Amino acid sequence: MPLQWFLKYRPKSLNEVEDQEEAKKELVEWIESWLKGKPAYKAVLLYGPPGVGKTTLAEALARDYKLELFEMNASDSRNLNDIKNMAEKASTTGTLFGIKGKLILLDEVDGLNARADAGAIDAILELIEKTKYPIILTANDPWDPSLRPLRNAAKMVELKRLTKYPLKRILKKICDSEKIMCEDEALDFIIDQSEGDARYAINMLQGVAGGYGRVTQDIARNLIRKKDRELDPFEALRNVFWAKYYWQAKNAVTDTQIDYELLMRWFDENIPFQYDNIEDVWRAYDALSRASVFLNRAKTVGWDLLSYTFDLMGPGVAFASFEKKKPTYKARWVKYQFPQYIQLLAKTKESRDALDSLLAKIGAIIHASKDKTINDVIPLFVQYYKKYQEKIDKELELTDKEKGIISMLTSFFQGGQGKEVIEKGTESGKSEEKKGRRTTYYRRKS
Amino acid sequence: MSAEEEVLWAEKYRPKSLDEIVNQKDIVERLKKFVKEKNMPHLLFAGPPGTGKTTAALALVHDLYGDNYRQYFLELNASDERGIDVIRNKVKEFARTVAGGNVPFKVVLLDEADNMTADAQQALRRTMELYTETTRFILACNYLSKIIEPIQSRTALFRFYPLKKEDVVARLAYICKNEKVECDQKALETIYDITQGDMRKSINTLQASSVYGKVTVESVYKVLGLAQPKEIREMITLALQGNFLKARDKLRELLVNYGLSGEDIIKQIHREITGNEINIPDDLKVLLVDYIGEVEFRIMEGADDELQLNALLAKLAVYGSKYLKGK
Repeated sequence: MPLQWFLKYRPKSLNEVEDQEEAKKELVEWIESWLKGKPAYKAVLLYGPPGVGKTTLAEALARDYKLELFEMNASDSRNLNDIKNMAEKASTTGTLFGIKGKLILLDEVDGLNARADAGAIDAILELIEKTKYPIILTANDPWDPSLRPLRNAAKMVELKRLTKYPLKRILKKICDSEKIMCEDEALDFIIDQSEGDARYAINMLQGVAGGYGRVTQDIARNLIRKKDRELDPFEALRNVFWAKYYWQAKNAVTDTQIDYELLMRWFDENIPFQYDNIEDVWRAYDALSRASVFLNRAKTVGWDLLSYTFDLMGPGVAFASFEKKKPTYKARWVKYQFPQYIQLLAKTKESRDALDSLLAKIGAIIHASKDKTINDVIPLFVQYYKKYQEKIDKELELTDKEKGIISMLTSFFQGGQGKEVIEKGTESGKSEEKKGRRTTYYRRKS
Repeated sequence: MSAEEEVLWAEKYRPKSLDEIVNQKDIVERLKKFVKEKNMPHLLFAGPPGTGKTTAALALVHDLYGDNYRQYFLELNASDERGIDVIRNKVKEFARTVAGGNVPFKVVLLDEADNMTADAQQALRRTMELYTETTRFILACNYLSKIIEPIQSRTALFRFYPLKKEDVVARLAYICKNEKVECDQKALETIYDITQGDMRKSINTLQASSVYGKVTVESVYKVLGLAQPKEIREMITLALQGNFLKARDKLRELLVNYGLSGEDIIKQIHREITGNEINIPDDLKVLLVDYIGEVEFRIMEGADDELQLNALLAKLAVYGSKYLKGK
């Protein structure tokens, strides 16, 4: 068998990689932070659907920076020991750059089976902690709950599906190099079928060209079928929002393998983008919030109730729009986005930990729970903290991060005016305070 | 830690022994008896926040064991410990060694016990029975009704009542004198009125007010005004103006960056909607409050708070566009 084209034409340098500009930039910044000796993250978690260039980017990066690539497939459980050995070696061996420099690549960490590969995540975490070399992890789906520790330990870099024109440039280049006649329409068809998966597109091109020596629309149409795959969240969402019948909407949420709590977050994120009318938005959220109520009931009372969660999440959201009743209705095409709430949680992990430890420290002194501390004590505490700062810092042994949290909370409670008011004192402050606090926002519609 | 070092007045001025507690006379008398007999049953302290439940428990163990009471005493907070298993393990570890000295038991204080589910309380009851030879429990709660019957019947109940105005004001005046802070009598009364006799809140408010120099009615109001985060009002306003996406961003910021719980936020929303700061017609308030209550109930039941609150924001946006005209 001839060399597979997607290997033969794999870009050798970052410059040759089509699309993914953002990811490239982030990777370069990251590897250069290693170069300077102070990486904020020791590892990168490169994620995105299949065939968008995860491994390619890692290899190109290694080549551009003259690093020896050390590749391991993480999902092969026989490699658990190798990972452990690697952790040992990577923690001890010499300098990063120069001829001996290495880049560690752990492919497909989402292939780890939580049960069978128990310990693998821990081993990877240990590797990340000890390593003296940069590490790239790759995953198709990084949002699996079991991968949370890796998400926290690594910088997340997303690769998106390739868009039409970059894909077309890739295919055309191959056609030229292989001296094959390719119809434009045929390439468009292939690109359409590939759904942004470059490897799939190149494989299809090779499949058509290999048998026929040319790539025409007719041949392509006859040979190529859409990939079979589980419904991803994008499709699940589209199928719900576009559903015309109850069963369609319900199947859309029951057919997918995505964790239903995660799926709820996807709806939560995208409802206001799909629906324009605020009443539709409200009805969709109302159904979704009821779905979450039933999920909780299913968990506490009995799993039979889970069915209602699906009813409300699927059809409940689908038929929130009254427009659907019109025979001419067609759903708007919307580019769905990943739940920002989850990303926000991942991004703010460190500061949330610092907030937590701050609350625990204050709570321990005043004998109150964290909850009570943030509600009853912090709003007052931030007002006198400055005056006693030195003593409090010492008594609570506050870290810089915790001090940072205090100043964040201070501005939260005092708005922009905080410092000023303290310096000005009561006399000048009070009149504007009174004026500012009562604002008329609304009038009744006449 | 000596008293001179403590910078948080609420802790610095916490009575250290039963003799120092001015209020709750009946309770203190009964507790002193336990100290004298060096024996006590399991105790259940019920009463509003800031009425001296924790103080009484700490003073009791202090008087029982002396200054080194820490080694005979385990303090847990039900809302901080994740689940009954954590509590059980900590108690197990603690109860493993017997108390030395002349008191034959150790003491576990479990604060905010009414935050535990009924199931967790059942498990707690078994734990209490298991270690009853070596350990006494003091459970503290705000609402007695949230404590299951079997626990109520196995503990001696102590009801804590709100502190009297003159006692709180006298204590605040004493603190002012000690800290060399000037204060108006009227200001101290205002603090009591607003905190409804919650001693911890009162002292905290006093300490915050003292930052502005003399403690006056104005400085007390300023402090309390600043203690109300403006962001929640902003979020409500954004939603009512129909700007749902911005309101949703605000909500996420509150939940994630500022660490507020869904319950905190919904309670604040309730306060804002029923208060006078946001100008909306009374009939609309009624409609909204009904839904706000429903959302709070769902969150308490365990439904996802971000989803529930987003539904509420969408509802606000709908009502905002129906009943109100922007600006």
